[in-house]
Amino acid sequence: MAPDMNKLRDEQPRFCGLESGHRACQGCGEALAARLVMEGAGPDVMVANATGCLEVFTTAWPQSSWQVPWMHSLFENAPAIASGMDAAMKAKGKNTKVLAFGGDGSTYDIGFQALSGMLERHHNILYVCYDNEAYMNTGIQRSSSTPHAAATTTSPAGKESMGKRHLKKDMLSIIAAHHIPFAASASVAYPADLQRKVRYAMGIEGPTFLVVHSPCPLGWKHDSAATIEVARRAVECGLFPLVELERGTVANVMPIRNRRPVVDYLSLQGRFGHLFKAGDPRAEEERDHLQALADYNIETYGLSGQTDDNLDTTGAGIVRRGGGGA
Amino acid sequence: MTQLTRGAFALPGTSLDFKTGNWRSTGKPVHVHAAAPCHSACPAGEDQQAWLAYMQQGQAEAAWRELVAANPLPAITGRVCPHPCETACNRSTTDGALAIHNIERWLGDEAIKHNWAYPVAAPADDAPEVAIIGAGPGGLSAAYHCLRNGLKPVIFEASPEAGGLLRSAIPATRLPRDVLDAEVSRLLALEGLTLHSSKRLGRDVYLDQLQKQYAAVILSPGCQAAWDWDVRGAVPGDLHEGLHLLKEFMDHGAFPEAKNVVVHGGGNTAIDICRLLKRSGAMRVTLVTASGLPGPDTDPADLINVVPRELTEALEEGIEIIDHATINRLILRGSQTTGVEIASLRKIRGVDGRKRRVTFEGTERIIEADMVVPCIGEKVDPEGLESLMNGRAYLAPTDDAGHLANAHTYALGDARGDRGTVAGAIGDGLKAVAAIAVDLAAVQSAAQEIRPELPAEKLNPVYFEVSSRTLAPTLPVAERDFETEIEGDIGRTAAMAEAARCMSCGNCLACDNCWTLCPDNAVLKTQAVTADGSHYVFDLDYCKGCGICAAECPSGFIQMAAED
Repeated sequence: MAPDMNKLRDEQPRFCGLESGHRACQGCGEALAARLVMEGAGPDVMVANATGCLEVFTTAWPQSSWQVPWMHSLFENAPAIASGMDAAMKAKGKNTKVLAFGGDGSTYDIGFQALSGMLERHHNILYVCYDNEAYMNTGIQRSSSTPHAAATTTSPAGKESMGKRHLKKDMLSIIAAHHIPFAASASVAYPADLQRKVRYAMGIEGPTFLVVHSPCPLGWKHDSAATIEVARRAVECGLFPLVELERGTVANVMPIRNRRPVVDYLSLQGRFGHLFKAGDPRAEEERDHLQALADYNIETYGLSGQTDDNLDTTGAGIVRRGGGGA
Repeated sequence: MTQLTRGAFALPGTSLDFKTGNWRSTGKPVHVHAAAPCHSACPAGEDQQAWLAYMQQGQAEAAWRELVAANPLPAITGRVCPHPCETACNRSTTDGALAIHNIERWLGDEAIKHNWAYPVAAPADDAPEVAIIGAGPGGLSAAYHCLRNGLKPVIFEASPEAGGLLRSAIPATRLPRDVLDAEVSRLLALEGLTLHSSKRLGRDVYLDQLQKQYAAVILSPGCQAAWDWDVRGAVPGDLHEGLHLLKEFMDHGAFPEAKNVVVHGGGNTAIDICRLLKRSGAMRVTLVTASGLPGPDTDPADLINVVPRELTEALEEGIEIIDHATINRLILRGSQTTGVEIASLRKIRGVDGRKRRVTFEGTERIIEADMVVPCIGEKVDPEGLESLMNGRAYLAPTDDAGHLANAHTYALGDARGDRGTVAGAIGDGLKAVAAIAVDLAAVQSAAQEIRPELPAEKLNPVYFEVSSRTLAPTLPVAERDFETEIEGDIGRTAAMAEAARCMSCGNCLACDNCWTLCPDNAVLKTQAVTADGSHYVFDLDYCKGCGICAAECPSGFIQMAAED
């Protein structure tokens, strides 16, 4: 007999802040990241959500996938709206935590000054940036978070260029300069680590910041089933380091046990396809450039694992019968 | 759907009205309870993955009960089986196959130590009686499975004691007699099982009589007669055939005196003989085999058919092995052997597709020998079975269950002619009794569950810790004698740690990966175990078919399948 799905859905032993029926693409890393964040943060939260994929695919009028109070803002002012929500909660004497969500376009580019103001005014808000490294909702335009050499519709690869000429903005260093209590990077490939960081931030009275690496099968041009593998390889090669900052100082990192060459990460994605064109000397140069950037991250954050650790890039993934895994 | 005005709000969770399941275009996730390769490879029909799963939960007794659902003699097979399960183990593609035989042996020993009860009940008083010829591993297994199927087994054994070749052909250094006696006597003590020892077929009991008197007859006499052996017509006057030599040694504890022995053959008996002769003082023992030794390029069909660790130990002990060779000529003084001529040989496939042995001219060499021991296999002793044998070497039943031409008569184990391991005989007991239960109840056999085998590439090794295979303690060469067991026990801690290495091929680990990693919240967790043996169901109303759950399932239990 088929189980009663509605009853089962109601009885799930975890808080569901983001329900099914949303319109994210197959294998969407951002939808997964938001679901994981809500599980770790909920239920006593409210959300200010900047314009972007997450806002669009979760709230197709007149429906909503959200199970908590949620407000849509403009592209540039989610931190400002969230600041107002936080002030309102204070005025009403409530402890409901305010979350602010934005993509990398909203966070790194358009809403950047509002975010800086929110951090500076020391609001009690957890800001989560779902970083899929381009403006995906409007059709894959480059953002300041797009990695070097990635092809987008506004940084195409071809005879004249090898994808984006500039570098990915070092957002965490800018956040660090605000000396907020806690800022961290996380990845959908390590959900337990991600949720630990969310819970830690939830316990802090004050501004906290989390950037979650969220692969986009459509924009990164990889198989929808490969979302987790792509995210995992980004961490394992050093291009997306998982670090934690407290008051602007590196407090913890996820050590890399088995370091992968960046080509293992790049070769899964069509946006880096031009880096594998045989006989093009520029391709080799750009691959080496990206490897050098990964090596720089590993050196800067001290990511090389000294000994096997239960919480390094390999240990954190180990599963055991009956849970305790990812 | 609630109608709302512009500028108003949406109610929480209302997107559930929108079924994204109809977006699927490339297939849906399904749970596939595929067979672990260890299970497919096991001649005894054990599901190693299933009992290792109990070990992973710390439930040793439950693991043993799951194990003995197929094989009632784990303390024995854990010691003597060439463990094809380990050869098949998917973990061999990464950091080394599981040491399944060590865990099996530990479980078998624990069961003896704690006297764990076999999962059988005494048959009803009026239950059909099944006659079993031979109390070797096949006959004992058949008797045990009779009890599991509510039948009453009656065993007739020619020797004074049960055990068959476990007692007559396997040295105590591989299978200590106290272990053999303990496990076999626990089995024989089961209520409803009768053993008539010293009753030989064709002298004390007769086949036609048994066929009349019993509801079914199972023949597991083993292979007791040696193949005739000669080299181009020459036979040494003092010929010692391998299995008989071994039996003599088991009974009297001594071999005929010899300095330079050449053993001809390529099976476990040959290796056992070599090692025992060396230990009893032979200066030089040489094994001449037509097969190849294990190496990176060895064709599995050409590989010497010996338990791998036994081969390693034999080489440690100084046994010389000449592979891909045969004995070309005996050098006799009178009828006494003084040497043999060896020549290189290969099994080559001819134009008709059959392999033939080709010896190469110019490769002949002579080695000194005062004893030559052929170990080229045995055939069924036809006494009492003449009506079934028709002059053939084996009973050769018509199917896997062992059906013979006579109604309700079955053959199993070595006597079939197409087996060759203790585990094979044990598996035959299971299959023959299953067929008998169906025949006697005159019902349709239950639909055979056909499970595809899970290949290693369906696993996701990222989720398993790299860990090396547990090595069992081995007696140093200098301390090896005729009684002390050579391979030791690994103990509880190592057995549990080794079981934890099982990657659970094709079976749900309940690790939560699918539940955690679904972007669409379309995997729901259940408290009770579902019909397919997991704790998760797919809500296909919302699953978009991205395939993340299948890609990230550590054990290959989730696979993408075409829509119905």
